[in-house]
Amino acid sequence: MPEVGNAIPHESAAGHVTGTAAYLDDLPRRERELCVVFVGSPVAAGRLKQIKGLDAAKATPGVRCVLTHKDLRGPNNFGPILSDEPFLVEDELSYIGQPVVVIGADTSEAAVEARGLIELVCREAKPILTIDEAIARESFIGPHRHMFSPGSEDDQLFQAAFDKAPHTIAGRFRSNGQEQFYFETQAALAEPCEEGAVRVISSTQNPTETQVVVAEALGLGMHQVVCECPRMGGGFGGKETQSALTAVMVSMVATTTGRPARLVLSRAVDMAITGKRHQYQCDYRIGFDAAGRILAAEFAFHSNGGAFADLSTAVLERTMLHADNAYSIPVMRVTGQVCRTNLPPNTAFRGFGGPQGIAAIENGIEQVAAQLGIDPLTVRKANLYQDGVAGRQQTHYGQIVRDHVLDEIFEQLAESSQYERRRGDIEKFNASSATQAKGIALSPVKFGISFTTKFLNQANALVNVYTDGTVQVSTGGTEMGQGLNTKLKQIVADEFGLSVDRVRLMTTSTEKNNNTSPTAASAGADLNGAAAVNACKKIKRRIREYAATLLANVEKGFVASPEHIRIEGGMVFDDRDLDPRARLEFGEFCGIARRDRIDLGARGFFATPGVDYNRETGRGNPFFYYTTGAAVAEVTIDRLTGELVFDRADLLMDVGKMINPGIDRGQVIGGFMQGVGWVTNEELLFDDSGRLLSTGPTTYKIPNITDLPGTFHVDFIANTKHVKNVRLSKAVGEPPLMLGLAVWLAARDAVAAVAGGKPFELALPATGEELLMTLTKLSVPSEPRGTKPSVNGAPTNGAGASKSAARRR
Amino acid sequence: MRDSIVLYVNGTRREVGVDAALQTLSDYLRLCYHPPDDERLTGTKIACSEGDCGACTVLMGTPNESGTSIEYQSVDSCIAFVFQMDGCHVVTVEGLRNAGGLTGIQQAMVDCHGSQCGFCTPGFVMAMHSMVEEHHQQGSQASHLEEDEIRLGLSGNLCRCTGYLQILQAATAVDLKTAVAMEQLFESQAMLEELVRLSRSSVCIKPTKGDPRAVAVPRSLPDLLQFRTDYPNARLVAGATDVGVQYNHGRYEPQQVIATSKVPEMQTLGIEDGELVCGGAATWSEVDKVIADRLPELHQVLLRFGSPQVRHLGTIAGNLANASPIADSIPFLFVAESSLILASRRGRREVPICDFYQGYKQVDLAGDEVIESVRTPLPPGEVAIKLYKISKRRDMDISTVTAAFWLELDGEQITEARVAVGGVGPTVVRLPQAEDSLAGKPLALATLAQAGRIARGLVQPISDVRGSADYRSQLIENLFAKCYYDLSSTLSVPVS
Repeated sequence: MPEVGNAIPHESAAGHVTGTAAYLDDLPRRERELCVVFVGSPVAAGRLKQIKGLDAAKATPGVRCVLTHKDLRGPNNFGPILSDEPFLVEDELSYIGQPVVVIGADTSEAAVEARGLIELVCREAKPILTIDEAIARESFIGPHRHMFSPGSEDDQLFQAAFDKAPHTIAGRFRSNGQEQFYFETQAALAEPCEEGAVRVISSTQNPTETQVVVAEALGLGMHQVVCECPRMGGGFGGKETQSALTAVMVSMVATTTGRPARLVLSRAVDMAITGKRHQYQCDYRIGFDAAGRILAAEFAFHSNGGAFADLSTAVLERTMLHADNAYSIPVMRVTGQVCRTNLPPNTAFRGFGGPQGIAAIENGIEQVAAQLGIDPLTVRKANLYQDGVAGRQQTHYGQIVRDHVLDEIFEQLAESSQYERRRGDIEKFNASSATQAKGIALSPVKFGISFTTKFLNQANALVNVYTDGTVQVSTGGTEMGQGLNTKLKQIVADEFGLSVDRVRLMTTSTEKNNNTSPTAASAGADLNGAAAVNACKKIKRRIREYAATLLANVEKGFVASPEHIRIEGGMVFDDRDLDPRARLEFGEFCGIARRDRIDLGARGFFATPGVDYNRETGRGNPFFYYTTGAAVAEVTIDRLTGELVFDRADLLMDVGKMINPGIDRGQVIGGFMQGVGWVTNEELLFDDSGRLLSTGPTTYKIPNITDLPGTFHVDFIANTKHVKNVRLSKAVGEPPLMLGLAVWLAARDAVAAVAGGKPFELALPATGEELLMTLTKLSVPSEPRGTKPSVNGAPTNGAGASKSAARRR
Repeated sequence: MRDSIVLYVNGTRREVGVDAALQTLSDYLRLCYHPPDDERLTGTKIACSEGDCGACTVLMGTPNESGTSIEYQSVDSCIAFVFQMDGCHVVTVEGLRNAGGLTGIQQAMVDCHGSQCGFCTPGFVMAMHSMVEEHHQQGSQASHLEEDEIRLGLSGNLCRCTGYLQILQAATAVDLKTAVAMEQLFESQAMLEELVRLSRSSVCIKPTKGDPRAVAVPRSLPDLLQFRTDYPNARLVAGATDVGVQYNHGRYEPQQVIATSKVPEMQTLGIEDGELVCGGAATWSEVDKVIADRLPELHQVLLRFGSPQVRHLGTIAGNLANASPIADSIPFLFVAESSLILASRRGRREVPICDFYQGYKQVDLAGDEVIESVRTPLPPGEVAIKLYKISKRRDMDISTVTAAFWLELDGEQITEARVAVGGVGPTVVRLPQAEDSLAGKPLALATLAQAGRIARGLVQPISDVRGSADYRSQLIENLFAKCYYDLSSTLSVPVS
């Protein structure tokens, strides 16, 4: 019985429900373990003039070390792409909370007391907080990037495409950032080892990067640093790079004092100082014909990168690569620039820039439909990529979109969700209700799978088979709840024809898997699964060769023949020999093989074939394949309060052949609801000093169980054209997040019903405030009998970076 | 009088002094070594320290009124203090091990893929057990939890990974007939007897020479008032659902505390002579049970008041004394013209609720007084009541704006109007000019809209993280029209 394809529970499910699955803060206290705290910058911009109280802090009873950048033994800068971020502040202060001083103490009380004695004397400067301010002051990170579709390079031809288009719309669309809100905050524990080495246990998606960064900060060789990650209580991209700072701080304390040291950030500190999904601004122009076919499009993106590069340039690249979403646009120019501001460096978050690109074009589609007075679904259908149809399959970066079922997804989903009938019902409802407005939207996602940085598309795996026939698997992939380990178990179990209970996934460690990529880009199972298969195949080749000799039976006429050796059903046998006694139980066989000095362990490797992309020209094949899907969402908005009720969702996705349908379904629902949070109630608010105001769940509202739609259908579509990737599966982690946009589009649709043809821009997220103020500005025409609501100086855009001075507690 | 806090943790007796008493329950569970195996109970997770996410949910068991069994309710252990657990049986996720394997709830969570990263999962499991306990305690014949009930019951638990649908399915799959009850997991007769005994004796951990801290858990009103006199600087702590948050954010350091929520004289609840009488220590979940039928509008607000965990500990007196301008309960009490009975060793006095609030977080409560009870006249039949809570997220959120409308009607004529709003000033306020504009007018959209415009001119909200001043003003204006539409649909007044 194959294990792949079964919806077996998450490998740690029993540990989760009993509370025995341990996270970093749950690990037993080490002997003489120190508590670590740090002092962060009190201002968003300025210069550090002096640190007062260092001696007093050091003299506090129980305090074992007080460290600054001077205690780093390596260069004081890091960064996954551009090395522009200091570990600890030297003189320039770049965001509020940026670590300056690190304290290690016997108890948290002593550490906190010492922290209170330290005073940072700063010369404060006016911070840059918004995209507009950064543009005005030309404060940028990385180059201005462009991606021109084949044929649109020429300025005149490009402009001519707009001139020829019967209709044109233009506007500025803004989307706000989003906090990852992983439940387990950033956390690390460092233990000093012999010969100056250090072992770091970290809640990280990126053990190799942690190893590199810690080694650099401490002036150690990489061989002196081991990074382990047993599991994370959620990551969502937030622990791809930003777990590094915590790891460096504990490692500094551990190597300085020779004692173990742990730091688990409080929620408020974690939210205040770590990067988030990027806020974006997009100026767009779309030329189209009467049928809604887009003839030319231009998107100019600016993202708020925060104080340092982090992953911002790569995130921006993915935004630009997803500005087409699922639509074939013949003439298209996309440009992008990351802005440097005085907020914590923004970073990866599920979707990695894709959501902001897709939101921009989907907003454009709604505007196109509104201008033509037709259903946005008609516009979407008119522009979808067509598999195998010349002129309808090439992206603006040159890659051919192939082997997809976008048309079928649209057809099946429109049918199963009864889109047309509900559209009619909603129109009737809106015509008759003075107090509510309903909206509906069907929106797709086409998400490119692979790291756009080519070298990251690799993985290695270590597979150890033991003499009782059980198997341990280690990869560089990290488990953050997404079910990677469970899928790997199923894949490896099938390779050896074993039941899953005989396969175990081991703690991720740089000791076993070196030079690994972060578990990111939805590619964890693709890359590590393929590497594990490669390792299994090496072992199986040895098993076959040895078993061929062992099981050969000259009397029966079976000469040694590895092709006839089968490893399945927990047995090893020669398929020509039908005698059950000639079959060896897998464990028994392994025992015999070891005694005959057969190697039952192997390391596998995988590098994704065929991906290549030229960043300079903006052309190439960045993606191995695409994961696609679509969602229909319906919402009801209270016209008097702006409150939104999410009535119904219907999701349909092509995720290939699922390794574990239970896990994939969980990824789809969970990703979708995270997207719903991004577009509805998750609002990051900063005051005008650059301080985050929404620093906990009291003020930052992720979806609650009562925000689940009343009706929620999730389904998958078969795609027989997809014939690549491990076990013919597809990546599933990020794509469904972008289906959450359907809820925003439905809200927009409801507002449009009230707008009566007036153009408007709705910011993202569409909070109750954003909706009410937009509705108010549109001066609800059906407001009866001289009760015209007053139009006040409402903020024109709820998604502005800081709702400025006004937004203080 | 006892001088230590006694609680049971997963069936094991613990007696603790001032250090542990002033810890949060979750710190006590996670950081201390607990018998019988000297285990740190790390199954209880801390994700927010604000009582907002429910990852720290545990069960708090207290003897029922007749002392015949222990009743369990979910609470957020991250914002509860250990002294509040005096005389209680605390059950953590580790306590479920007594079932000898996974409980039905745990198994359903496994089978339905109800966990992904798993960090919130113990909290969900405990919240579900709390729902099952409630069914057991009520002698319910239901075989399964209803979907609406699950959604409300789990609204105090956040999950970032699953998108909830699988958790909802797991809760739906639980068989209430076979679901294990806490009384089956713990040999509870001896424990029950001691908990009953403990509920009759007050605790006072007195300050010592080197340690000024004090903890008092009075079990009678005279004891409470005595402690109030003896420790004039002590902080009164009821459910701690706000002060616990302040503590975790470093804005409150407990020195001397007096627990108010275990005083039987203050736990009374009932209707006397057309008045709802709530003892100050009555929790919101208890209040809700009494008013659900009589005051359906208030019931709807209470369903969105905090979360089940918060309502299980939070008390009416705590909410009123905390004096937040966005407290969900206050607007209704303003329009109902409730009065507060304040008690001290000097005697009792009655204060109309409008007079109780004197400014931002300033109340008319003397240093030796406590809120003994709250008396609320029940609206007669001809009164239409509408209550509004506008928050960014529907559930488990703090209000941006609140409003209460009390309209006395004679046919379609408004004879008297009372309107109170919150979140638009330092205290909840009545809006007399808006009220005057409604009185004597027909219940019509124009009437309400006119009053809404007047109301808008009367409030001067601030902008903060929950909403801009303009948004709040617009809400205040619009809620009058909304009130009209809502009433016209329930009273069959034609929509113009």
